[in-house]
Amino acid sequence: MSANKKMKSLGLNAWFGKKQALKDINITIRANAVTAIIGPSGCGKSTFIRTLNRMHELVPEAKMSGQILLDGKNIYDSDVDPVMIRRRVGMVFQKPNPFPTMSIYDNVAAGLRLTGTKKGKNMDEVVKRSLEQATLWEEVKNDLKKPGTSISGGQQQRLCIARAIALQPEVILMDEPCSALDPIATAKIEELVVQLKDNYTVVIVTHNMQQAARVSDFTAFMYLGQLIEFDDTTTVFENPRSELTEKYITGKFG
Amino acid sequence: MQRLLDKGLEQLTTMVFKMGEVAEKTLSISIGGFVRGRDTSEDVGELSEILVTMTVEVEEKAFGLIAKYQPVASDLRIINSYIKIAYDFERYGRYAWDIAYIRKRFGKMDNCEEWIPEYIGDMGEKVLQMVKISIDSLKSLDTELAKTVTKTEAEVDDMYFKYLGKLVEQAGVTNECTISSVLVVRYLERIADHATYITEAVVYIATGEKVTLR
Repeated sequence: MSANKKMKSLGLNAWFGKKQALKDINITIRANAVTAIIGPSGCGKSTFIRTLNRMHELVPEAKMSGQILLDGKNIYDSDVDPVMIRRRVGMVFQKPNPFPTMSIYDNVAAGLRLTGTKKGKNMDEVVKRSLEQATLWEEVKNDLKKPGTSISGGQQQRLCIARAIALQPEVILMDEPCSALDPIATAKIEELVVQLKDNYTVVIVTHNMQQAARVSDFTAFMYLGQLIEFDDTTTVFENPRSELTEKYITGKFG
Repeated sequence: MQRLLDKGLEQLTTMVFKMGEVAEKTLSISIGGFVRGRDTSEDVGELSEILVTMTVEVEEKAFGLIAKYQPVASDLRIINSYIKIAYDFERYGRYAWDIAYIRKRFGKMDNCEEWIPEYIGDMGEKVLQMVKISIDSLKSLDTELAKTVTKTEAEVDDMYFKYLGKLVEQAGVTNECTISSVLVVRYLERIADHATYITEAVVYIATGEKVTLR
């Protein structure tokens, strides 16, 4: 797989019990770019990104077929450790979910400790660097011992991004990361998403089409478990090829 | 169900179509007046001013819709194109005024050789035909009709350069005739360009394809 193609789904299908959630999804995720996944509720957006780091299989009765390639290697091969995949492909969720009993510092360090990194100067550096990359350092540098839940919702979401970054993932998946945030906090996360692509590959699920238009380089439109259209974002929002995409993004259905 | 944006788009469309009607009427009075030797500067001046005001109204309406609804896809293409088309209609008005003013400033073309008013009349007819196509294709979003301007636009261009060549060859033309007729054929040629820009916008609205019809 060439350097600019970070991930690829090949003939991807997914089910919850008997209900098929994804149907033959073939998509290439470019490295150091933001790919937005849009579509109406229930179209399979969240299921799709959960297959990208093997979180889908954690749901009871969930199954999948097909391949997900990460740097050309199928992450579902029997010799692949799913924990390592989730370290390489991090996830940020809809609602900010800092560990409620931990300080800001410990929230960022938590993932590292779980994977065996010890306290010390190196840990301090990683926490600082992660908070800086999440554009939160200046706001919390004097309050690192305060609870992670003591800061605003928008700051908590950036804390969760810092927590994901601390593990030095290659890909960051974001599942509607701004849906619980006010417009100012949303704007900060959007700026952050655009900055993150310098160092990471980002895949973002969003219900906000203007957000997809603002932050992403590529946009995929999904409907009823199928990938309807995938193109560069300008094309999708200016001159979509599919009539379904046109109807959805102009608000004529969905 | 009608979207909130739809009502605004309908209003904007009505405004742009109305502009098209005023612009066509303005050009028709101006070119017809020039060819027949009538001073139409007062009427054309008024209509031209109306077109300037309407352009501002279209721009304000379009920007309001963008700010309120963040349109995308065909909605965005329509609004973007309407802003450009309103400008083209404003230019129709401006060139109509320029032609009427030339007539007022330099007088009838009595002192011109006979072939000159005839030539300008023929060119004016072609240009008015293009203007009509630009407005009709906009109203119907008929891309095939829009594309028919290419041939006429080439003919108008050709007539423009042939006219300049003929003037150079002709010894008998007077200064007034030379100046006024050269300016008028230049304005006609520019009107034809704007008619083509409008038809290009029609194709863009209807298909998303950016074409050049010149």
